[in-house]
Amino acid sequence: MKVNKNLLRDAGERVLLTGNEAIARGIIEAGAGITTAFPGTPSTQILDNLGPLAHQLGFHAEHSVNEAVAFEVAAGAALAGVRSVMVTKMLGVNLISDPLLVIAITGVNAGLVVVTADDPGQHSSQNAEDTRYFGMLGKIPVLEPMDGQEAKDMTKYAFELSEELQLPVFVRITSRICHSYFDVTFGEITPPKREGHFEKDPKRYVMISTLSRARQPILTEKINRAAVINESNPWNKVILIDKGEITTKTNPFKTEFGIIASGLTYPYVEEVLEKTKISAKVLKLATTYPLPKQLLNDYFKGLEKVLIVEECEPVTEMQIRAFAQREGIEVIIHGKEDQTMPRIGELNPDLVGGGIEKLFKVKFSEELTKPYLEVEAMLTKRVPALCAGCPHRASYYSIKEALRKNKKGGVILGDRGCYNQGVHEPIAGIDTCICMGASIAMASGMYQSGVKEPILAVIGDGTFLHSGIPSLLNAVQHRSKITVIIFDNSITGMTGHQPNACTGRNLMGDPTPEVDLADIVNGLGIENVKVVESFHTELLQDTITRHLEDDGPKVIISRGECAILAGRERRITKEKVTRARVAVETCTGCKVCMKKLGCPAFGWSSSGENEHLVILPNCNGCALCVQVCPKLAISIPMEKQIPLKTKQVVAGR
Amino acid sequence: MNIIICGVGGNGVILTTRILAQAAINEGFNVRIGASHGLAIRGGTVVSYLRIGSDAKGVIMPQRSGDILLAFEPLEALRQMKLMKDNAKVLLNNEPYIGVDAHLGLSKYPEIEEIISRLSETQELVEIEASKLAIKAGSQVMTNVVMLGSLASSKELPIKRDTLLNTILDMVPPQTVESNKRAFEYGEQAFHEKQN
Ligand SMILES: Cc1ncc(C[n+]2csc(CCOP(=O)(O)OP(=O)(O)O)c2C)c(N)n1
Ligand code: SF4
Ligand code: SF4
Repeated sequence: MKVNKNLLRDAGERVLLTGNEAIARGIIEAGAGITTAFPGTPSTQILDNLGPLAHQLGFHAEHSVNEAVAFEVAAGAALAGVRSVMVTKMLGVNLISDPLLVIAITGVNAGLVVVTADDPGQHSSQNAEDTRYFGMLGKIPVLEPMDGQEAKDMTKYAFELSEELQLPVFVRITSRICHSYFDVTFGEITPPKREGHFEKDPKRYVMISTLSRARQPILTEKINRAAVINESNPWNKVILIDKGEITTKTNPFKTEFGIIASGLTYPYVEEVLEKTKISAKVLKLATTYPLPKQLLNDYFKGLEKVLIVEECEPVTEMQIRAFAQREGIEVIIHGKEDQTMPRIGELNPDLVGGGIEKLFKVKFSEELTKPYLEVEAMLTKRVPALCAGCPHRASYYSIKEALRKNKKGGVILGDRGCYNQGVHEPIAGIDTCICMGASIAMASGMYQSGVKEPILAVIGDGTFLHSGIPSLLNAVQHRSKITVIIFDNSITGMTGHQPNACTGRNLMGDPTPEVDLADIVNGLGIENVKVVESFHTELLQDTITRHLEDDGPKVIISRGECAILAGRERRITKEKVTRARVAVETCTGCKVCMKKLGCPAFGWSSSGENEHLVILPNCNGCALCVQVCPKLAISIPMEKQIPLKTKQVVAGR
Repeated sequence: MNIIICGVGGNGVILTTRILAQAAINEGFNVRIGASHGLAIRGGTVVSYLRIGSDAKGVIMPQRSGDILLAFEPLEALRQMKLMKDNAKVLLNNEPYIGVDAHLGLSKYPEIEEIISRLSETQELVEIEASKLAIKAGSQVMTNVVMLGSLASSKELPIKRDTLLNTILDMVPPQTVESNKRAFEYGEQAFHEKQN
């Protein structure tokens, strides 16, 4: 566990921090007692940074089993009067919406903040949803910082706002804020308070329909009050830009053009105006829900057209349009809805410049002249691959070999985790990947719908714990004939190796019971569970083949250590890997290894006498290619191979 | 000033950018680093934008506004070309990472000569054998430090040589200070040899 000492620097110091770290510091400055999350790029590192500091500073930190649980833990604390925060990527908001929308009705007794990171441009997500809609859905105020300093300060403020309104508050960021670095000036740390006390009040906390109905007017009153509080939010700012230059002189400055920008798009706007020398009245809007009405009424005075700049969906734009209509303001509103700004992808200065170019006769972007355009045409995207030595590669190899030899085809429903990279050639091992936990239930659906081919679901340990368990139970109850293969590396790998219930420790570094997935599966009523080591490919193939035709759901746990973690351990123990070696004269250049495995440690030599495989320095010595080469041209001495512990299938108990 | 640092996962792009940014802060400049990376998996494209002084605005820079490109890998250098001004300085570690997909013909890795000629067509290209020099200094891990040494000698940077070197030495593990210093100096020498 590595402590990020930067986060403990003194008040007044100026520190270079990622947006994620800045928010972690904001949470510390606010004195939150309970901090929870479920890992999800891009915001995972907020809790990753808090975890190792938890005991030292006296707060609680957890990567919970899933987002709904993480939110409910935080909500419990907030009802007991302890400041709490739940952090998630936007997808997790889909899961928390159920409890969130009801906690909005009960209200809270201490600040409850939800930090949600949207992912415009989909750097690491299966969709590009805008979580601000959930603010409107649940009457939850939304705050949007534009940089690291604001991210820290507004996170701290969010707790105060939440307490003033007794309502959860969203801090909405985007992936670019999470991973970019900003210089941030620190404030004082508030020691966390964890003397929770729950004051019973069933009329408020037991949300059966009659009691909940009675509280609806309170929620409406709160969100109306939030709009009034937002009038004086210090991060909402009107900035006058006179021919590209920021000015404080209101006289003789005059323009009919306005721009409303939120989040990290504000600096793009400034840059575009500076270069194009356009005059505009810019509203940097930090409170994108609910809107401050008086502030907007004042802002719109004298404006004839307004451009709205925001990441993801036209959430502000739709509200502004409705606002203008309601208030009888005559103004032309440009934005995503009229395609002045793109609705798809992540914004950048050139795209904002493109919007301005549509409205004025100016030029912002430097042209891509011929040589640059020709270069663009030469670029191909790199295809991401599982790491060298990843046990998932061995599992996929075994599954595909088993199905090939079985000659009855097969549908493989995939899930979310490193193994979803198995979609790419040459592995091409999954046919679907929807959302966390969907593999098993969808496999059941395919079986019940009459699909005749063998139906398999592949899912990682982290995802199985997150949302695979109920689906498997459902398959048991309805006797779905499916084969579930759990890729068990006992860690949540994809998001940067966070501990889960299988890992044997928690985020704060405390030892915890190592939950055995075989026990869980047994407990769900499945006796037919087998545990095999991933690199024991013959055994794994054989096990898959033997159980494909069994009735009902069966589970094979393919167990292997994440190659990245194994590498880290080796660096500590100073153990050396023995890389695979190629006997150049034996290698015929058939590329079977490449076509079946596609390990990123494979290089190729086409110079000299014969073409042959070359092993690169990133080889992790897993010996999978040694097993696969039909000419026996690749070798790692037996005693140097990572030993396989299970020599036979471990049957379920 | 706008500096772009690019490579593939595992090259240390983000760390290199942080070192440069810290050195700029130590000299009293405002900085911004724009970055966005996906997953834990290695081998993909990584790029970050360092904006110093009056350019320290948005975290993404406009196209054709880059002053310096520090590239750990040739194809990745080519990928960032559209961000560079004409005749910007490009420091390139000529160490291609081809990837299995290209070996299998699923994607096409351009000929190295082609990449070099394209880069030199519009930019001021300096090739540095940084990976090899890093191995000579003690370990390939220090490739980025060799590159920073070359960058310091290029006189393009508004940061003093000693500030940059001391920032590096502050940020690396104490037992590697000597070898990192060597790597930095190899980078400086390599740059001077190229200029003569
Ligand atoms: C609702 C939701 N939360 C979080 C994520 C981010 N995420 C993607 S894969 C993954 C977990 C992967 O863990 P595991 O199943 O153990 O597989 P591994 O990566 O270790 O192979 C997470 C948390 C997501 N896609 N959806
Ligand atoms: S991080 Fe671990 S689990 Fe993920 S691809 Fe790499 S080795 Fe496999
Ligand atoms: S032993 Fe073979 S398959 Fe395993 S990491 Fe090395 S090259 Fe890749």
